[in-house]
Amino acid sequence: MTFFLQQVVDGLTTGSVYALIALGYSMVYGVLKLLNFAHGDIYMVGAFIGYFVLQAFGGATALVAPVAVVLIAMFAAAALGAGLLGVGIERFAYRPLRESPRIAPLITALGVSFFLENAVLLLFGSETRLYSTSSFIPFSTGVHVAGVNISLVRILVVVLAAVLMVGLRVLVERTRLGKAMRAVAFDREAAEMMGIQVDRTISATFFIGSALAGVAGVMAGLVFDQVFSLMGFIAGLKAFTAAVVGGIGNVPGAMLGGLLIGLAESFATGYISSTFQNLIVFGILIGVMLLRPNGLLGRATLQKV
Amino acid sequence: MTRPLLELDHVTLAFGGLHAVEDLSIAVGEGEIVSLIGPNGAGKTTLFNLITGVYAPTSGDIRVAGRSIAGLAPHRIAGLGVARTFQTLRLFVNMSVKENVMAATYGHTSARMWQSVLRTPKARREEREVNALAEEVLGFFSQRLMGYRWDQPAYSLSYANRRRLEIARAMATRPRVLLIDEPAAGMNPQETHEITDLIARLRDERGYTILAIEHDMHVVEGISDRVIALDHGQKIAEGSFEAVATNPLVVEAYMGRGTAVTKG
Amino acid sequence: MSTPNDAPPRIGVDEWVARSGERRDRGSGPSAAIVRALERVGWWQRLAVIAAIVALFPLLTSSDYAVRVGVNTLLLATLALGLNVVVGWTGLLDLGYVAFYGFGAYGFALLSSNQLGSSGIHLPSLLAIVIVVVAAALLGLLLGLPSRRLQGDYLAIVTLFFGQIFVETVTNVAPKVTGGPNGVVGIDPLNFFGLEVTTTRGYFYVLLIVTVVIMGALHLIDSSRTGRGWRAVREDPLAAALMTIPVNKVKLLAFSVGAAVAALAGTIFAAFQAGAYPTDFDTPFLILVYAGVILGGSGSIAGAVLGATVVSVTLELLRNPSQAATLFYGLILLTLVVRVRPWRKLGAVLAALVAFGFAVHAVIGAISASAVAGHPRSGGWVGDALGSWVVVPADPKGPGNIAFVVLILGLVALVQLKGTARTVLLVPLLYLAAFVWETRLVAEASITRQILLGAILIVMMNARPQGLLGSKRVEVL
Repeated sequence: MTFFLQQVVDGLTTGSVYALIALGYSMVYGVLKLLNFAHGDIYMVGAFIGYFVLQAFGGATALVAPVAVVLIAMFAAAALGAGLLGVGIERFAYRPLRESPRIAPLITALGVSFFLENAVLLLFGSETRLYSTSSFIPFSTGVHVAGVNISLVRILVVVLAAVLMVGLRVLVERTRLGKAMRAVAFDREAAEMMGIQVDRTISATFFIGSALAGVAGVMAGLVFDQVFSLMGFIAGLKAFTAAVVGGIGNVPGAMLGGLLIGLAESFATGYISSTFQNLIVFGILIGVMLLRPNGLLGRATLQKV
Repeated sequence: MTRPLLELDHVTLAFGGLHAVEDLSIAVGEGEIVSLIGPNGAGKTTLFNLITGVYAPTSGDIRVAGRSIAGLAPHRIAGLGVARTFQTLRLFVNMSVKENVMAATYGHTSARMWQSVLRTPKARREEREVNALAEEVLGFFSQRLMGYRWDQPAYSLSYANRRRLEIARAMATRPRVLLIDEPAAGMNPQETHEITDLIARLRDERGYTILAIEHDMHVVEGISDRVIALDHGQKIAEGSFEAVATNPLVVEAYMGRGTAVTKG
Repeated sequence: MSTPNDAPPRIGVDEWVARSGERRDRGSGPSAAIVRALERVGWWQRLAVIAAIVALFPLLTSSDYAVRVGVNTLLLATLALGLNVVVGWTGLLDLGYVAFYGFGAYGFALLSSNQLGSSGIHLPSLLAIVIVVVAAALLGLLLGLPSRRLQGDYLAIVTLFFGQIFVETVTNVAPKVTGGPNGVVGIDPLNFFGLEVTTTRGYFYVLLIVTVVIMGALHLIDSSRTGRGWRAVREDPLAAALMTIPVNKVKLLAFSVGAAVAALAGTIFAAFQAGAYPTDFDTPFLILVYAGVILGGSGSIAGAVLGATVVSVTLELLRNPSQAATLFYGLILLTLVVRVRPWRKLGAVLAALVAFGFAVHAVIGAISASAVAGHPRSGGWVGDALGSWVVVPADPKGPGNIAFVVLILGLVALVQLKGTARTVLLVPLLYLAAFVWETRLVAEASITRQILLGAILIVMMNARPQGLLGSKRVEVL
């Protein structure tokens, strides 16, 4: 039983990370109808930023400031850096291609993704960086429930993710920006004619989605410890699966999808073997696409012929 | 009339609570030219989409020459003799004029890939036939789509010629029924006149049965044996042009409630 | 059908009539005569001539390395041809394409080595190839099934995932069968009716024949019913369906053909390497193939081959520092000559650049000796010549990295500017590029390759989406 609960805890933690990345995917797809391949790499950049902030504060074993301060700095810097990177990519790689056939921005995104991965490799080398979280947040601190140890780090991650997701929900549903986003996602031309600043809305969407990915990157570093240039690739694929499972373009769907994928992965690793982890996630993707192509929470959209 | 060539039998198309087409029954006899009129959003293009298989009816049946086609895949329906043009042109713009027409013969030809590579006699013969068919079909439009135009990319044609090409492409599918969606849209009076002649010739010289959506009443008057008016997905009038044009329900649909009341 | 110039195609404008004046004026001069002669020569004749020229290549060089590069280039060209069918003609973004290449390699490997069973399976090569290619075609059908319901973006990710799964499966699942991370070794060489192909030169010719045959077949298909069907599906799948084209079947056929071509290349690759390893079929290689197709022009048979050749040769040149230097600086000069007009402006830019460089070098040298103590990494005469021009610190890594980031930002800014501001910014930016090149890029050749590939995709899509030999498309959205 404790084993089961442990898997649930792990799954929710991983799922929270995936959910944050998936949100970015979904939001960008909603407004631009583009699957941003480079999104996973933005997450990776966020993880790196967090790492370097950690080092700036003295490194995992010799922090010069309270842990809370350091954590806030890491998250903030990653969010800001990743957000700006996302905005930059949209502005210079995707915006010129708004009127081009769909294949053009997709291939460009592929190029951007590859470029980012290798630029990071060039700048920072190929060795894996370690957050060494246990050095400043010991594993033993945490909560014991039914024999399962839930470390502080995991609680932090899940809680923060939940807060961000709720915040995003509020943003999308209650603010003017959120309304603009939904309008642009529905019909860009009409939104423009109604006076909505489409370019700015899209930039804002990219910023928020990328910032969330950046935060997810730091979370990943804290939970999984390892940071390396290719970590965004597979995480991106899984987050995409999560977004599709939940219904692409759908914010609550991305959250739900992320958690489901995280749990599926956890159980697969725990009960079968970690070798088949990705295979199972891929299987879920194919299954959903064939059986419920609009995802669990998505709605079929009509197309005018 | 004898058994109609195209029949819609109590067809309904519902998207959730929205009924795009409601209990519609239409019959078109062979060789007839029937016009479909109605205000925007009445369901005319939706009807075309239903007949050609883009949408499957929620209930009811659609039959061509007595054979039910409801629920069949679009390319099968096209292969059974139902062809159409589009309200907003949908040509294969980057392919040449001739290729546009030749591509539409796909369903009626059978040269496999390997046969084309090995240039078997059968493949070569079929290619010659397809070529000849394309040239013949394009020749229907006098000199406008002939000669050097054959190898021009479709996007380089003028608007009117692109409309003609779309009709030519539809003709290449060897249809029995031709659904034409707003043939005179965006045309000047001269071109409109030519289109009216063209549609008559399509029936007289080629024997097509034609169902046309049109807003320009001069064209409707000029071509139609019969007119059907739709509004909100339902048939509201049917008959000769004069009968339908003066039908109060039709006037109301176009002009708004209360306008059908005669003055004085 | 071709649009000879760079002017964008315009809807509703009869290009042939509009350009008649141009055609008359083009008349004189030797270059025009050559172009006219080329246009009169048929496609088949052109193919024969080029094939003959390429066939001479291994006879003109004694370097096995050069012929090996030729083999790799031909492999890439074959892959590009197959990918062109799927992406260029039918418009399906298949990002798992390289998995079929791997399938071909592993399939052949398992049927021509000691891997399976007690003494392995050693089928005659032709039989093994046929079996593998047919199996790949079927696998292509399978993978194509999701394409029925999926729009472009979804299909792309699903196929990307599939490619990833292939590599993972081959690496981790059933290591006894697939050899795990170490792959399958000891593969028989190609064996046709008693004739064994064991030399690099031999594989070169085998691949040349394969490439030429595929090019010919594709040319025939392009103007056939199947080719028209593929292109119509790319143009407008809905309209195609309504014009009797069975869109799903056509898409599946495209997937199948692409897979078969990739698998064929894979079999020869495995025989040539005498081994099949999972790392050969991973995403970086996929990007390589795509770069080739995009650069050459998706939709064009000759374009696919040309793009693959350019990419393959360029990347090979980057391995050797002195050749890389020639390539890098040569390319920059070429771009300047082509893009900066008139000649006076070009001269001014070059002069300013040279002066700027020497000035910066002198100033920084005066400030700090260690800042210029390093030697340009480019080998050969180029590196020596640049010694006093480019600033190379004793420890180049840090400044090089910073400069790299600044360079990217600078390039982005350059694209936004116009006119004089742009020309002025060009000079320091070029110098910065040389700086980054000498300090970082030359040292990390393999990473530079990848960065270049990514850049090719981004730049081509933005600047010239139709590639070198493709025709400009009109998209009605």
